[in-house]
Amino acid sequence: MVNISELKVGQVLKNEFEGITRDLLKQYAKASGDTNPIHTNDVIAERAGLKGVIGHGLLSFGFISKLFEDFLEHGKYGKIIDISVQMRGMVRCGDLLITEATVNKIEGKRVYFAVKQTTITSVDIKDKEGKIVKQFEAGERGYISEQDIERGLVKTKEVPEGTLTYRERIATPGEAIIELFE
Amino acid sequence: MDIEEMKKNADFLINNMKGMDIPGSTTVNIRYRNMVNFAKVYGITDPKYVGPEEEGVVACHAFANYFTIKAIYKLLLGFKLNQDGKERGIMLDPGKLLHAGNRFNWEGCVDVKPGDKLTVSGKCIDIKLIEKNMMMIADFLVHVKNQNNEPVCNITISAGLRKGGY
Repeated sequence: MVNISELKVGQVLKNEFEGITRDLLKQYAKASGDTNPIHTNDVIAERAGLKGVIGHGLLSFGFISKLFEDFLEHGKYGKIIDISVQMRGMVRCGDLLITEATVNKIEGKRVYFAVKQTTITSVDIKDKEGKIVKQFEAGERGYISEQDIERGLVKTKEVPEGTLTYRERIATPGEAIIELFE
Repeated sequence: MDIEEMKKNADFLINNMKGMDIPGSTTVNIRYRNMVNFAKVYGITDPKYVGPEEEGVVACHAFANYFTIKAIYKLLLGFKLNQDGKERGIMLDPGKLLHAGNRFNWEGCVDVKPGDKLTVSGKCIDIKLIEKNMMMIADFLVHVKNQNNEPVCNITISAGLRKGGY
């Protein structure tokens, strides 16, 4: 049960998706009719200077609308009024896509959210001597730029196999409005 | 193309397109299979979106991408203007097109269902040149209605055209 009295400013809705793969991009291309080969063919994407296929800009939008559909239990407790997104960063195969919507205003039955989608792009894992023990697609294909490093987007954290280097950046900022029935 | 020519073309588009309706409209026929395949990309399993056709399935919200982007692209490719006595398209090179953002509004809209015939029409509401990188940014307001003239979604699409594309 979702009703307006239970929602609070600052509350966060969240989902995570770890399945951005070439197969998914092909499935989306077929389903959406957006068959631009930069999304499905690495050779053509490389020729376009992209170092590999990139996700369709609006593929990630669907995870935002799904977040609200799931929250509203598919129209049982309310409806989606408005979603706006800006495409800022490319989404790549292997990325972890985190969608978060934070309540920033409640007016009557309407709830206003700030939305952001963050990509976590794993690069490699190094052991204590600095030797790469595992390399991910971003490391192999060179997706991380000097600019990413300068902007402080490249970070490290300890994982069981060693030190993971990854990039964390906001791919899709946006806003949303839903309206609850009660 | 040199910078002066790009600026001239940009001025022409800004002066002629801002506030202009995109001529014509395009129709999209909605099929059950397309709706369900689209929802399945996102792992949607709720029968409201992927259930049997005879049980009143409707399109998930993300499906707005399916009928909007294709339609607006088709409309824009057919949008011709007369510049210095010569006919030109808005985009000189569609390969330079970038999708910058979208706003989907469902206020007062009805669900999309299999068998619907959607009509998509649009208007250029803003267009400007970002001189720093010579990118043209245009905003289009797109109205989508069903066969009963009921709105199903109103979308604002922001598109960028990189230099050489206009």
